[in-house]
Amino acid sequence: MAANNGGDKGTRNLVVIMVSFIVVVGVVFSLISNRSSSTAAIPASVSADEGYGIVLNPNSTPTIDIYVDYQCPPCKFFEIVNGGYLSEVIAQNKAKVVYHPLTFRGPESILAANAAACAADEDKFIGMNLAIFQNQNENANSGNWQGDALVEIGKSIGINSEKFEKCVRDGDYVQWTNNVASASAKANINSTPTVFVNGKELDRNTEYGDPVKFKAALAAGGVK
Amino acid sequence: MVDKFKVAQPWLTLIARLILGGVLLAAGALKIGSLQKSAMAVRAYELLPIQLANFLGYTLPWVEIGVGLLLITGAAVKISGLIGAITMLAFIIAIAQAWARGLSIDCGCFGGGGTIDPEDTKYLSEIIRDLGLLILGIYLYFYPKGRFGLDK
Repeated sequence: MAANNGGDKGTRNLVVIMVSFIVVVGVVFSLISNRSSSTAAIPASVSADEGYGIVLNPNSTPTIDIYVDYQCPPCKFFEIVNGGYLSEVIAQNKAKVVYHPLTFRGPESILAANAAACAADEDKFIGMNLAIFQNQNENANSGNWQGDALVEIGKSIGINSEKFEKCVRDGDYVQWTNNVASASAKANINSTPTVFVNGKELDRNTEYGDPVKFKAALAAGGVK
Repeated sequence: MVDKFKVAQPWLTLIARLILGGVLLAAGALKIGSLQKSAMAVRAYELLPIQLANFLGYTLPWVEIGVGLLLITGAAVKISGLIGAITMLAFIIAIAQAWARGLSIDCGCFGGGGTIDPEDTKYLSEIIRDLGLLILGIYLYFYPKGRFGLDK
């Protein structure tokens, strides 16, 4: 056993103090940075009352809430399987649809959610939502959506405004993504995709991957 | 026999410190990058009120890192070992109740977490691993003095 050396006690105490300091600072920083910000810029179609989601057909019923992360592969699958029907539902004003783009998969999820929000201001959310998913890389945060990639995706679906480009480049709605995340945390969303019709969660095991069952679930919720 | 243990004990303490400390440090560090996911992982256990689950999700990784650093450097080993053991006990209870209730979740032990496919759950191996770490934590509480530590 090491010799009892009183002189080393200082080192030990210093380490304990430093580690405690790191933990306290980290905890405080994490709690503050994950809080919702009431001053964050939000897209015109976003409603704080709807968990900061992007609201399409605000006056229609029933309400369909959709939680996705643009880097989540099952979310891409969900979009490919059911996105077409959902855009029909939206186009025909058969439901209020609220999209909640979550960002737990990291920095490029934030970039994608920001770009989708920028597109919402151009009335092109549906197209952008699909285009982003189609462009999803199987590896998260691979650099796929860095630089002007998301501006180009916007152009590919016909968004050419300077305002959109600036919004994507400047990350106008990056702070807003934190509000969406914070609201989803309070709403106990533990997985993506997650879909609610009038507050009732669809069955993850059967109703997400099968377009017939998905349609039936929406019909059961009042989508005519 | 007793003498042999006396010789081995400081080395066993060192090994226990490095294993438990290393695992905690890695577990915390892997979660720091995505605290939203960490909070999601805690919520998925459906054990705590949502606000408390979110709070734990944001703060627990830092505690893991802190206790891990203390164990590796060998500072405040008795209390760190105890905290480590209590954390492991809490994880075991959380995983066991998720298993018993038939939830399909990833433990979120090293990042990740949330709801997953039922066939992808690994509750038994997770519990056995945490049980081993719990024993190391208890050992450190009773035998905190070991080789190459800052505690004197």
